[in-house]
Amino acid sequence: MSVIVLESVTKRYESGAETVVALDAVDFHADRGEMVSIIGPSGSGKSTMLNMIGLLDTPTSGTVRIDDRVVSDFSEADLTEERRSGIGFVFQDFHLLPMLTAVENVELPSMWDTSVDRRDRAVDLLRRVGLGDRLTHTPDELSGGQRQRVAIARALINEPDIVLADEPTGNLDRDTGATILDELTRFTDEEDVAVVSVTHDEQLVEYADRVVELIDGVIQG
Amino acid sequence: MIPGDLLTRFPSVLMAWRNLGRNRMRTALAALGILIGVVAIASLGIAGVAIQTQANADLGSLTNQVTVSSGQDSPTDGVTDDQVTRIERVVTDARVVPQKTNTTTIESREGEAFVAVTGLTAADALYNASVGEAPSRLQSGALVSAETARELGLELGDPVEYEGRLYRIRGLIEAEGGFGGGGNELVIPISGLSDQQHYDTVTIVAADGEAASGIADRLEAEFNDGEDEELSVTSFASAQENIDSFLNTLNLALLGIGSISLVVASVAILNVMLMSTIERRGEIGVLRAVGIRRGEVLRMILTEAAFIGVIGGLLGAIVSLGVGLVLFDVVAGDPLLVLRWDSVRYLVAGFAFAVVASVLSGLYPAWKAATDRPVEALRG
Repeated sequence: MSVIVLESVTKRYESGAETVVALDAVDFHADRGEMVSIIGPSGSGKSTMLNMIGLLDTPTSGTVRIDDRVVSDFSEADLTEERRSGIGFVFQDFHLLPMLTAVENVELPSMWDTSVDRRDRAVDLLRRVGLGDRLTHTPDELSGGQRQRVAIARALINEPDIVLADEPTGNLDRDTGATILDELTRFTDEEDVAVVSVTHDEQLVEYADRVVELIDGVIQG
Repeated sequence: MIPGDLLTRFPSVLMAWRNLGRNRMRTALAALGILIGVVAIASLGIAGVAIQTQANADLGSLTNQVTVSSGQDSPTDGVTDDQVTRIERVVTDARVVPQKTNTTTIESREGEAFVAVTGLTAADALYNASVGEAPSRLQSGALVSAETARELGLELGDPVEYEGRLYRIRGLIEAEGGFGGGGNELVIPISGLSDQQHYDTVTIVAADGEAASGIADRLEAEFNDGEDEELSVTSFASAQENIDSFLNTLNLALLGIGSISLVVASVAILNVMLMSTIERRGEIGVLRAVGIRRGEVLRMILTEAAFIGVIGGLLGAIVSLGVGLVLFDVVAGDPLLVLRWDSVRYLVAGFAFAVVASVLSGLYPAWKAATDRPVEALRG
């Protein structure tokens, strides 16, 4: 079953007199254990689509379903809760908090949940991405590739259904990018999550199980 | 400084502490602003208390006294034995000290001095002896003001003469503070002035100003009917009330000035918090994106503001305590008087104001950061 479904999702932005259609009646789904790549030129609506899937933004019309629940019924608090428990984020600029150590950054999404101790899982995830000896390093003591691996561990801390990756290799050299993509595909199987990535990196496309092309807010093919 | 493991139970505190540590200079300057505000409030408050304490100490010996003399409608030119008996019947809770007064000139080998002569029995009620004693029943001998004794080269045991009789000095008395104190004084037994039939004044020494005020009212009721003034009753209690009310006004004015600096400091915190949340907009967007709730972001930023207030407030209270010790040492001669609740409450209030003002200043930046839409905040 698909963990995330977009049905005829349209997003319009009003800017002054002009109306920009960022997404035009997009249908999309992602299943557990598959890696889907959304490609397209810049300005094609990729990021907007990722924001819809990541419950960071709401559509102007159309339906977003997560685990067969309609997201438009959710309150702001429900959306936050869903992002915390069901969705992991990997950003192009890593977006780690500079004052936290690697292991604290991984724990961040569950940090305010004092009822569960995620320390063991955080350490385990960092070991699995090869950073077992960098647990107490802060981001500025890590290389770009290491930072992105911390970010992947952070995305997985709450055992999400979906991991969203926005240009995950955009700021990395080719070899480092390859290891990051190896990690992502490995976790797609090991953790049985759906990985949806946005990119114009062809290297990433090679790793994808499925590629969706977006041009001017419309899915091609 | 604060162990991270321990604080995992208080994530807002952990995050706030780490965030403040990222820009130590900015945090220190914001806390310094608060520190100055607290010092302004607390030390001005304590200064008010010190002035009040000293004023009360200076006036205390006068304001608890009631002075009775012959009234304008009295048939006699003094207070009669009869009237003293009646006063004593009315005043059972304070000492009644009838006095006869005169003036004279005392001579010694080193010169002469013009002195006020007071004849009384209960010398200890009105005088403190710095050397020798002021007895409770003065039957023989005399007390001389210390300054007069120094001028004339007189010592304990030396004789002084009044109206042909000699008195041996048995005590040197301190000049009284307050109104009309000081001057040259000679105190002898009441019998020395027996050629005066009536008492010139009767001084009633009460426990405090309030008691003195009550006694004055009772004496007025006893002796003075409507327009008829048999005895003139004077108490300085009302003067003390006026002075107290003036000092209270002064205190409020001082606190007002102090509060302005705390308001300025809170504006500085508001600015610092606003700047730091705008700088961290993208970061807060990440927090919100990965599922940190609005309330949790709000708490984190309010905790940062509270930390600045607590640090600035604590240091401010410590500095103010130092200022208070110096103030009380200079004004009242005893630095430890600052530890009484009268003064300490200004330290507590200064600290509390600091924390409250800081948290209030953090409210708007925290609310702004927490309600920012994550999708927009992520763009930075």
